Amino acid sequence: MVRGGRYGLRTKFLLHPFGWRLERMAHLLQVGAGSGGMPVLDMVCRDPRVTALTLIEPDVYKPHNVARHLFAPQGVGSGKSALAEAWLRERRPDLQFRSLNCDLLDSDCQEEINRAAAGADLGICAADNEPAKYHFDALMRRWRKPWTLGEVLSGGIGGFVHWFVPDGPCYGCVASFLQRAVEIEKPKAPDYSQPQSSLPETTVPASRAAIEAIASLHALVTLGLLDNPGDFSPGFTSMLFTLERVPDVFDEPFHPYRFRIPRAAECLICRPGRGPEYASPEELDVALDQALARLGNA
Amino acid sequence: MGLLDSEAGKRRLLTVEIPVIERYNEGRDPNYRIRLSRAGTTLVLRYQLKPCHNVYQLETRLVSSYPTVPPEIRVLSPLKHCPHLLEGQTLCLWRQGSTRITSRWDPARFSCVFAVQAAWRWLACYEIWHDTGEWPLPEAK
Repeated sequence: MVRGGRYGLRTKFLLHPFGWRLERMAHLLQVGAGSGGMPVLDMVCRDPRVTALTLIEPDVYKPHNVARHLFAPQGVGSGKSALAEAWLRERRPDLQFRSLNCDLLDSDCQEEINRAAAGADLGICAADNEPAKYHFDALMRRWRKPWTLGEVLSGGIGGFVHWFVPDGPCYGCVASFLQRAVEIEKPKAPDYSQPQSSLPETTVPASRAAIEAIASLHALVTLGLLDNPGDFSPGFTSMLFTLERVPDVFDEPFHPYRFRIPRAAECLICRPGRGPEYASPEELDVALDQALARLGNA
Repeated sequence: MGLLDSEAGKRRLLTVEIPVIERYNEGRDPNYRIRLSRAGTTLVLRYQLKPCHNVYQLETRLVSSYPTVPPEIRVLSPLKHCPHLLEGQTLCLWRQGSTRITSRWDPARFSCVFAVQAAWRWLACYEIWHDTGEWPLPEAK
């Protein structure tokens, strides 16, 4: 017997040695099976309550991924979603696995992605770029699904874990509270001090250990939310966990900073719509065309 | 996938951006109103500003991934090369992680009209720099 719970998490009665027990069954939607996403997937999918998984991951496993990834070097050249499926089949042959080998932001895949979100019980975001995080947030809010997000800071000096529920703060509220900004590619001004030089930007990759530490926290929060989606209350909505001491950034390693971030009443991302309601996509298109025509001749 | 071709993007335009543009235009001299046009998946705002002595033509592009990524603002009127000016006369307005709130694009709090106001402030600084050789605002940190 299957029935819906708060936020749509389904439950089923299973026969145990001491009688029938109510067990939660969950269909997860995860975006990203990179070096941070794959350990989360591995840890969460070992839980027997997870019965189905849809993975959105378009990337191919490349040689430079090997040092930090769960997958074996022999997998180089294969799609990460195929490797993730093989990994999970070995450990959870009963798990229903479905992959969408497309970018989360790919306009051609939105219908399928929307269907996957509508059918999921809980989302896991392991995307590494801001547009994808905002898009996943919009997707999960649209279908009123709880979700979690893990982020490893550059150089592996620490990382964030966030959890979101419908009617709680959105990713925009969190990013605004944490004073984030989006990394954008922009044309560079000439370097007048060294006009002939070419100085490539340096990036510091995180270590496998740092990635796994944050992924473990991400998996724990995800499983906690799965345990008790209605009243999950770990004492934070976002947690920053430091892994290194960095002068002027983190005073000490292995220190948790817990943030209770409220929903911002005036958040332009998640505040309730103002003005007319547009029930259908056609109404939305007509209203937009009219507005653009009006303002094209302002 | 984005501003002009997704439901979320269209709703953002209809409930946030277009109402603030209409409020900006209300009662304003027609020459200084914001005009909108589509360019593929980008929404283009064209307008002019007069921060001090001169009138400048500007173009602000809301690209497909707007508002996650900030608006790109270009001055179409010729400028002297100066600080905080990028290729193609694009204004350097946003700095990731800046401690100054107005220099850090925040899609949860800012609309495209905030960017127009930031361009106005930039041009005012440009005119002062043009006269004095000094940019009147400190670098965003």
